[in-house]
Amino acid sequence: MKEFEPKIVYFLCDWCGTGGCETASAHHLYYPENVLISRVHCTGSLSAVHILRSLIEGADGVVISGCHPGDCHFETGNYRARRRVAVVKSILETLELGPERVWFRYVAHGEGRRFVDTAAEFNDHLKKLGPNPLKLRRDT
Amino acid sequence: MKGAVIQAKAGIADGILNFLKEALDKGFFDALLLPVRVPAGDSFSYILMRDTSLLDGAFPLPPVMPVQGARALSSLTRYGKGTNRIAVLMRPCEIRAAIELHKLDQVDLENIFLLSVDCPGVLPLGDYIKDPRKGDALYEKVLQEWIIRSPRWACDICDKFSMPHSDAHFGILGAPESSLFVIPGTTKGKDFLESLDIEYHTSVKSWETKVQELTEEISKKREQTLQALSRDTRGPERLLGIFSKCINCHNCMRVCPICYCRQCYFDSDALKLTPDNYLMRAQKKGALRFMPDTLLFQLGRMSHMGLSCVSCGTCEDACPMAIPVSRIFTLVADSMQEVFDYVAGRNPQDPLPQIVYKEEELKEVEKAYIETYNK
Repeated sequence: MKEFEPKIVYFLCDWCGTGGCETASAHHLYYPENVLISRVHCTGSLSAVHILRSLIEGADGVVISGCHPGDCHFETGNYRARRRVAVVKSILETLELGPERVWFRYVAHGEGRRFVDTAAEFNDHLKKLGPNPLKLRRDT
Repeated sequence: MKGAVIQAKAGIADGILNFLKEALDKGFFDALLLPVRVPAGDSFSYILMRDTSLLDGAFPLPPVMPVQGARALSSLTRYGKGTNRIAVLMRPCEIRAAIELHKLDQVDLENIFLLSVDCPGVLPLGDYIKDPRKGDALYEKVLQEWIIRSPRWACDICDKFSMPHSDAHFGILGAPESSLFVIPGTTKGKDFLESLDIEYHTSVKSWETKVQELTEEISKKREQTLQALSRDTRGPERLLGIFSKCINCHNCMRVCPICYCRQCYFDSDALKLTPDNYLMRAQKKGALRFMPDTLLFQLGRMSHMGLSCVSCGTCEDACPMAIPVSRIFTLVADSMQEVFDYVAGRNPQDPLPQIVYKEEELKEVEKAYIETYNK
């Protein structure tokens, strides 16, 4: 049987997250091909609805990476993003829809290694969890 | 806590209305916003009035809550404060919603005088409009015996039924025979009582004890009920089973006092897509239910207004399919507000959790990166 390959949506902020991704490519570091990168202007501009919609419409997991605390290009975006992720996680936790399918981890511009590691680690984590039950539901 | 004692010989409603009449006559307010029975007699609506003769038809505690008071107040002060001073008499959940809307810049409280009253809960709207007479008789009993056990779910487990952050509060519980307590909550409230020459330094200990006893009792019940509810709603199977009846009318959003956006994201073109997009999604899922995005609407709305949800139950009253919307929203809102140690409507000074942050917090949300993975 073919091994389960999770579909991952990776939201990166325009500044540090994307920079980390570029550093990884400059160093020829590889991340799993089933990771779909989605650039957002700032993690603070990412709405909870985008995370929920990804999970309902086909993603097995969502990971969000932005600047480290204190490094946000807009000063407070990453702190706000952290609060927003907490809101989404609390919804998913209360209703048991899989809060462990949402990750939030800082990646700085120079941390290419950290970026590919996060993608690989999340990929392995989701392989263990199995397919997201929500994405297979036709009655959503 | 100190307060004043006012006469209520012909019942609670009469006592409150006479008191308001006097305040209006003395010119402390220019107008009143109160629930009044509609001419057809089968419902109630908020009426903005200056004429004291209209007060006779007013109900400080109507048996139902067709329009959430905070919503009425936000349409009144949409363009900021007016020059008139308006007193609004609302239930505690309506006051709490008004405070949340004030934080969201949707209500201007400057020239508004908030009056609240101990609330025994209301009847489910659907039951009441089927037979208003029966409802009136039942509610009369609720008021006389002061059974907080209202048949409505949201009211049955409401542990914030008294003393919200209002300017003045009418205390019914524990008040001496044929009278009421008026308890000032702010300096505005104290000024008000002073201007009416009412002495407000009487102890309201009996009211405080009664409220505390009842709050403790209901809090326990709320916890148990929510725990049981949580067992029935966990997981996609159960949750989608509950929402599968949804007809996407979005009534719950339209009546919600907190959902103030003039253009709801879920009504916008962002979710209206081409046939090819729907077909692609149907292929992935095996099939696609129409109208799509039901679950996204419910969960998305939760993420938008959950932190300010006051569990008033208006959404459930408005649902034509009898989906227990308010139960699921209350369940999620309670745990969401707990994350930020926030209680919606508790205090106008508490900032909204979405607009502030702390540098050191929510470490459990961050996924720690400890060592190099796959080295």
